[in-house]
Amino acid sequence: MSNGHKLHSIFTLIGLYFRVNLASAMEYRSAFMLQVFGMVLSNGSFVFFWWVAFSQIGARIGGYDFTDVMFIWAVTSSAFGTANILFANMNHISRLIISGELDTFLLQPKSVLTSVLCARTSLSAWGDLLYGFLLIALTQGADGRAWLMFFCGLVIGALLMTAVAVTAHTLTFYVGDASTLAGMSVEFIVNFCIYPKGIYAGWVQVLMATLIPATFMVHLPLQLARQFDLLLFAGLLAASAAYCSLAGFFFYRGLRRYESGNLIVTRL
Amino acid sequence: MNMIEAYDLSKTYRTRVRGEGLAASARAMFRPVYREVLAVQSIDLVVPPGEIVAFIGPNGAGKSTTIKMMTGILRPNSGSIRVLGLDPVRERSNLSYHIGTVFGQKSQLWFHLPPTDSFTLLGRIYDVAPGVLKKRIAMLTERFELGALLDVPVRKMSLGQRIRCEVAASLLHEPEILFLDEPTIGLDVVVKQAIRELIRDLNQEKGTTIFLTSHDAGDVEHVCRRAIVIDHGRIVLDQPVKKLKYDYLNRKIIAVRFTEKHDLKTLPGIEVQKTGGLGSRLLVDTRIRPIGEVMSWLVGSGAVADITVEDPPMEEIIATIFSSQDEGGA
Repeated sequence: MSNGHKLHSIFTLIGLYFRVNLASAMEYRSAFMLQVFGMVLSNGSFVFFWWVAFSQIGARIGGYDFTDVMFIWAVTSSAFGTANILFANMNHISRLIISGELDTFLLQPKSVLTSVLCARTSLSAWGDLLYGFLLIALTQGADGRAWLMFFCGLVIGALLMTAVAVTAHTLTFYVGDASTLAGMSVEFIVNFCIYPKGIYAGWVQVLMATLIPATFMVHLPLQLARQFDLLLFAGLLAASAAYCSLAGFFFYRGLRRYESGNLIVTRL
Repeated sequence: MNMIEAYDLSKTYRTRVRGEGLAASARAMFRPVYREVLAVQSIDLVVPPGEIVAFIGPNGAGKSTTIKMMTGILRPNSGSIRVLGLDPVRERSNLSYHIGTVFGQKSQLWFHLPPTDSFTLLGRIYDVAPGVLKKRIAMLTERFELGALLDVPVRKMSLGQRIRCEVAASLLHEPEILFLDEPTIGLDVVVKQAIRELIRDLNQEKGTTIFLTSHDAGDVEHVCRRAIVIDHGRIVLDQPVKKLKYDYLNRKIIAVRFTEKHDLKTLPGIEVQKTGGLGSRLLVDTRIRPIGEVMSWLVGSGAVADITVEDPPMEEIIATIFSSQDEGGA
């Protein structure tokens, strides 16, 4: 199968699972609406926090002004939302490995990793996605480049967040249960994404461009939104592709050690 | 071409050995000790097309591990295996287009959605053209009597209804081999019988090869033509079900309850295992005394309030196989 065909097959699979997951979520309409708007409200409180911080400290914090912080918040929130809408199983891979729930996916002809990731969705993640859009609309106005980079950041951020979670969960194949580490890795990413890059020391910024790729998820898209550079943009795409490829490589290497199991399992 | 060929197939698991108590757990954290568990040991197995094979054995015998190696879920440690001429590990994706699987304990249907949604998704996953998929869903709906269930969320179905949908889902891509791992587990007698009939018909109508594991002697007796018994990872018996039936599946357990107290006299081929109050438990050797004859005898013995006929548990049958082999070898 050519790379083009493979990609097409992966996108088709993501679309198929998305539709089924959405239909499944709609079975509980009230819970769905409640979780979406609850998440928007919960996230909204942070805007107030940042507004107070900027009024007290000054016009710039760590080199970012209020609209910059709102940009990275919007990208982080929507990327987190997208990752959890499309690939919610990124938070559960360790459990799936330990309880032998990968069997179902190994019996199907499509990409195991894509199928695993897409087989679950998160209802509240729609609130995170929506919140990002509201924030970008309220703080960036009709700035076309900001909107474009917001969309790029959303896609790249979702993919990188998933890639890091997959890589961390893959350790379960070797050490038994890496779910805590994987959960922490996603929390770390989110934390390093929502604060101005300038507040971190040099060695932390190195971490943010390697193990915890927050730089690629939000800080570079912000830089590109303010001043576009084609070379930097190409570098961003290449780095993102490398992270995703590595996550896939680690997962499939680990899958060789999969031992299955006989727990009773249902698909939600 | 044979559907399944396995030679000298082995699978070993590594498990951590840990003593009892907190101190042992703490020691195991720093100095873990591992033990190798031989789940499957050098088994040879050939299944020709159209065969219905029962792969039976007690818990932990290696049944599921063998099926998982055949379907590409697990990698064997040694030996060779070919399913439809394909290597299940290296050609897993290609193989999955040609095999169907039903794991009684694992569902491939979405719990909150009606089966029709799962069927559509699975059809697309197996690259079945939409027109063909529509026809197959219609055909399976009729054959498995799913008409009233198609719009019911799976969570609201009984186990029997769900298993019927599971089997239908596994047939959407018209597999050449169907692997069934404990398909009748937890089902009542009537539903078990319906599932068995569906499996048998599938084999007769489409020539689908069936590879079935079960704990239920009834599945073996009523569905399969060949039985392979596995224990401690080794094949201990491989023979036609007709012979197995004559040699080992020749006993039935009858639980009978009368409306008033009375004594049951024993007859040749009938052993009264337990009696008390109004009820009795009988072990019948059907080679000596056919079930129909026993029923007539019981009805003639007094006013029967209730009666059930069961197969002996699989563990008991396997124990009989072992003891007869030991006697043969002695």
